[in-house]
Amino acid sequence: MIVTRRLTRSYPDGARGRAVVLAGVDLEVKAGEFTAVVGRSGSGKSTLLHVLGGLDSGFEGEVTVAGIRLDGLAELALARFRNRQVGFVFQSFHLVGGLRAHENVALPAYFDATAGDDARARALEALARVGLEGKAERLPSQLSGGERQRVAIARALFSRPRVLLCDEPTGNLDAETAEEIIELFKTLNRDGLTVLAVTHEERLRGAATRVLTLGHGVLS
Amino acid sequence: MVQLARLGLSSDRRGAVSSCFGVAVGVGALVFFVALGLGVGRVVREKVFPVDTSLVEVVPSALTLGLLGGALDEREVERLQGLPGVARAYRKMTVRVPAVTIYDGDFFGQRLRMGLEVLAVGVDPGLVQRDVPGGDFSDHGPGQPIPAVLSSRLLEIYNKSFAPARALPQLSAAMLIGFGFPVELNRSYVARTGGGPTTSARAQVVGISDRGLLAGLTIPLATAQRINRESHADADTYSAVTLEAADPSRVPELVAAVKAMGHRVDDQERRLAENAGAAVAITTLSMALLSVLICLLAGFNIAHALSASVRARARELGVMRAVGASRGDVASLVLAEALVLGVAGSVLGTAAAVLAAALLDRVAVSVLPEFPFKPDTFFLFPGWLLVGALGLGLIAARGGAWLPARRAAALDPARVLAG
Repeated sequence: MIVTRRLTRSYPDGARGRAVVLAGVDLEVKAGEFTAVVGRSGSGKSTLLHVLGGLDSGFEGEVTVAGIRLDGLAELALARFRNRQVGFVFQSFHLVGGLRAHENVALPAYFDATAGDDARARALEALARVGLEGKAERLPSQLSGGERQRVAIARALFSRPRVLLCDEPTGNLDAETAEEIIELFKTLNRDGLTVLAVTHEERLRGAATRVLTLGHGVLS
Repeated sequence: MVQLARLGLSSDRRGAVSSCFGVAVGVGALVFFVALGLGVGRVVREKVFPVDTSLVEVVPSALTLGLLGGALDEREVERLQGLPGVARAYRKMTVRVPAVTIYDGDFFGQRLRMGLEVLAVGVDPGLVQRDVPGGDFSDHGPGQPIPAVLSSRLLEIYNKSFAPARALPQLSAAMLIGFGFPVELNRSYVARTGGGPTTSARAQVVGISDRGLLAGLTIPLATAQRINRESHADADTYSAVTLEAADPSRVPELVAAVKAMGHRVDDQERRLAENAGAAVAITTLSMALLSVLICLLAGFNIAHALSASVRARARELGVMRAVGASRGDVASLVLAEALVLGVAGSVLGTAAAVLAAALLDRVAVSVLPEFPFKPDTFFLFPGWLLVGALGLGLIAARGGAWLPARRAAALDPARVLAG
């Protein structure tokens, strides 16, 4: 489902030239796996996630996600890839404050020219899947932290993606709520969704079927 | 997209209101001043100097150069009529004997005693026929009332200046038609007469026309010829010939041909109209440019507000990129926000301008004294002005949004979503 070959990502670093964050990463994640990537802060976990999710295209090497080669993919095709093939879950939820829960979930439909008029129904279905039926009309400010993250997960599931990419998804949650979210990820994974999470969280690491460590720009 | 644009605007209400207000002021000022210029221009064109753009007034030259120029006799009229582009030629002959009217009697319910010097010009009936409701504008012979057409501008000046000053009744065209008054020919209060006998006649108003002599009577040509003949004055040459061009665009060509024949063209009225029109146009243009400048400033204001908004919503825009928005989508979103501001500002500004115009018209009716050619409205709002105003608002908004839209599109989602 996810394959990288010699994935390298570096950034300009003033007088020192370039700072290499990913130094030839080779990764293979099979469909239906629940993979956790751990590593110290600044080790490049989020960068790896952004590359795999098509948010960062300034890399070298080969990257294939859900059967789509991302290296050299045009901007519009990358946008379509993000819209349909992957779902993102962020540590800070990143919900749009002025949109109700179901509108936040249906956000991908705003940018999908082929989206039908069933966006609301699909959003309600995704909310039900994360246990938030009945809270579709609430604004993010009217939801708890755990509920916001569930809305974010529902948004990631809206387009029925093949891969869920999670960036410290339990980082802003209390222990009990984090446990609920981890259970949710396990359920989604059992349902066949490929999950790749970068995390510091011990429990999330424990829930994964495979744990990789990123250090000095390489996976081990 | 509209919902997202509305959402974006509501996240910075103060900036949105300020931007919208800027566009409204610029567009409103433009609509107001252009409408005022058009309205005043229309009054000048249609009421103060109602120049018929298809008419050319030919008068004899003061000097005769061999075969060129000279009196406007029947032969010259035929030549003028034969010029290319001439649809019709209307002969004019001044009544060449002095005349006065001494009125002593009932004047529309009031006692009036007044003496006036009378100027009169005879014209081919076709020139004013359309303004004679009864249709009869012909010489009825000696002893019969002389049909007379009065100038519509003279009536306006009488109603707005003379009548109020002398406490005389206001008159309408309908009231005046049929009104008769005595005329004494070969008599004058100010000029020497030919020495012959004074003859009495009666004039009767048969129509009001903007083609009528401004300060005098317009009578049938045959009547003027008869009076001149009876007074042993020149009844063979014409004082002017009005040429009607088949197409107004051929007037310059016609004027050149007339001048080539050695005659003069009396374009004093036309020049006055053009000068007045140009003064109005220049004033309007100045105010319009000022309004465009305001719109330009509104564009800068929009740029500032949207730039701040894009900075504040960087993560929100990053999330949109993460769920499938392309750079173009994000730029379109910012442009859509600007267009919402532009449309709202344009509509509000135009509405404010129309309201202000209506208010000013109402104030003019109730506060300003009556004066000649005072219009019912000083404003004219053609459709193109309203469409143009909307266009200007949109251009200002679109221009203002250009840089913020580019910045929004250039946002790196990986960077703004990190952490």
